[in-house]
Amino acid sequence: MSVFTLLRRNIKWRFHNAFTIVITILQPMLWLVLYSAVAGQSMRGIGIENYTAFILPGLIVLVSFGACSSGGIMNYLMKTDGSFYRVLIAPVQRSSIVLGQVLEAVLCTFLEVAVMCIVSLFFSVKIASGFMGLLFMVLLVFMTAFFLSGLTYAISLCLPNEVVYETVMNAIVLPVFFLSTALFPAETLSGGFAIAVNLNPFTHVINALRALILQGNIAARDIIPVLLLLAVMCLISFSWALHRLRKETSL
Amino acid sequence: MAAICVENLTKKYKNGVQALDGLTLTVNEGEIFSLLGQNGAGKSTLINVLTTYLRPTSGSVIMFGKDACREAAAIRSRIACVAQRTSIDTHLSLAENMMFQSKLYKVPKAEAQKRMEALIACFGLERYLTYPVSSYSGGVRRRLDIALNMMSNPKVLFLDEPTVGMDIQSRMAMWDMMKKIKDDFGTTIFLTTHYLEEADRLSDTICIMKNGKEVIQGTPHALREYLRQDMLKISFASKEEAKSCFDALKSVVALKETDLRHDKIITGSKNGRADLEKANRWLLDHGIPFLGIEIMQPALEDVFIRLTGENGKEVCR
Repeated sequence: MSVFTLLRRNIKWRFHNAFTIVITILQPMLWLVLYSAVAGQSMRGIGIENYTAFILPGLIVLVSFGACSSGGIMNYLMKTDGSFYRVLIAPVQRSSIVLGQVLEAVLCTFLEVAVMCIVSLFFSVKIASGFMGLLFMVLLVFMTAFFLSGLTYAISLCLPNEVVYETVMNAIVLPVFFLSTALFPAETLSGGFAIAVNLNPFTHVINALRALILQGNIAARDIIPVLLLLAVMCLISFSWALHRLRKETSL
Repeated sequence: MAAICVENLTKKYKNGVQALDGLTLTVNEGEIFSLLGQNGAGKSTLINVLTTYLRPTSGSVIMFGKDACREAAAIRSRIACVAQRTSIDTHLSLAENMMFQSKLYKVPKAEAQKRMEALIACFGLERYLTYPVSSYSGGVRRRLDIALNMMSNPKVLFLDEPTVGMDIQSRMAMWDMMKKIKDDFGTTIFLTTHYLEEADRLSDTICIMKNGKEVIQGTPHALREYLRQDMLKISFASKEEAKSCFDALKSVVALKETDLRHDKIITGSKNGRADLEKANRWLLDHGIPFLGIEIMQPALEDVFIRLTGENGKEVCR
């Protein structure tokens, strides 16, 4: 019950600070509308027919990063001008506090991903794997956002203020985005970059989403390992977030 | 009946700071208990430990028969804390803030609605219902903070310097609120303050602490009685005038550095009348201008300064 109470409070915070939605979706939207249109023409040469559909999975991950990063900002604002400390001495489990905030970031991610998907319809993007594929995509997006929001929650409790936090998040997001298959197929890479891209877990999330969008059949070998990887990552990030919250009161 | 029993409590932060050092105190149910101490005495740390926010290093905290460390969850549902910094969500309305608090404490909705209406009326918040919380003045925010913390009908309400930075009218309104909370709701109030007048007016029990330890605990009357001696007060026109003759006056009456208080010299006197005559004669003989000289009964401030001064001895009643 406390999870939903906190979730509702956090959703109200999000709509009160609606600029956090606009700002986090703006950059991925520019990539989707402008970059895909411009780069799409040259990508036809390497066999990518619909480049918007090709980069949509990468942009889904990017928009998840943005939405979940802004969830971490909430901690700083609640500490300086909100109920952060009051909630900590209320009869509420620490896991409910973390979960309430993580789920809000997940919902915000779904909202932004839905907007991105609707816009991509105008660029002839279709989910080739049909309704089942859509359900798997929802699951992948949920787990990706859950992992990221747990991670950003923990990072926000490690760093002293929102300026440092924003700088660190920017320093993480862009290298992770560029060192993945978000913008180009992995087959064209070789050497150290190929290893780095392959080690990036988001490469596999993007590849799984891409397979569901572009391929008509759902291959279990493409999806299940990624789901398992994300499940482990979710567990780690949530545990870290919980550990950091507990440390707030063990000075 | 004791609401809070603290025994031999210590708290050493991981950075090495020893904030509490063997503190022992008892708070009775239904009273206003004031904790006085200089900055850094350990008042806020004590509140943080009592509200289960921080874990103590050693010692025991028993509230309503439950151990604060082992049974924190049971204690949390019976207490509320108004911290030094207001903790209101500015993105929620006044009513939403209060209902949010009631949901955290699992108060049934119908009961929460009734309680909210009663608290809004009790604390004069009706006219602010339609305004955004972010537009409230500091005093109104503080009132809302206290009102919403009362939503869970706590058995103990902790108030950490609730009147700091307030003008005198707001402070007096806050005193009325505290009396109402005690009388109308039967809530035990644990108050920390720097204002001795506030503690003197409101408290049933006062505890003075220094360096993380209690120095004395008792009723305001008992604390004043503690000095059991008259006070000699000499008033000057300015702080400088008081300071200029302070050292010379030491040869006439026994003075400590803490006896110089702004434009006055106030000292404990075992031989009140004789000291008054000696000091008066000395001032007149040396042609030192002063506004007045008198024998008075000790105020709480005198007790506080005596006990928290460098040579204050530690006692407990």
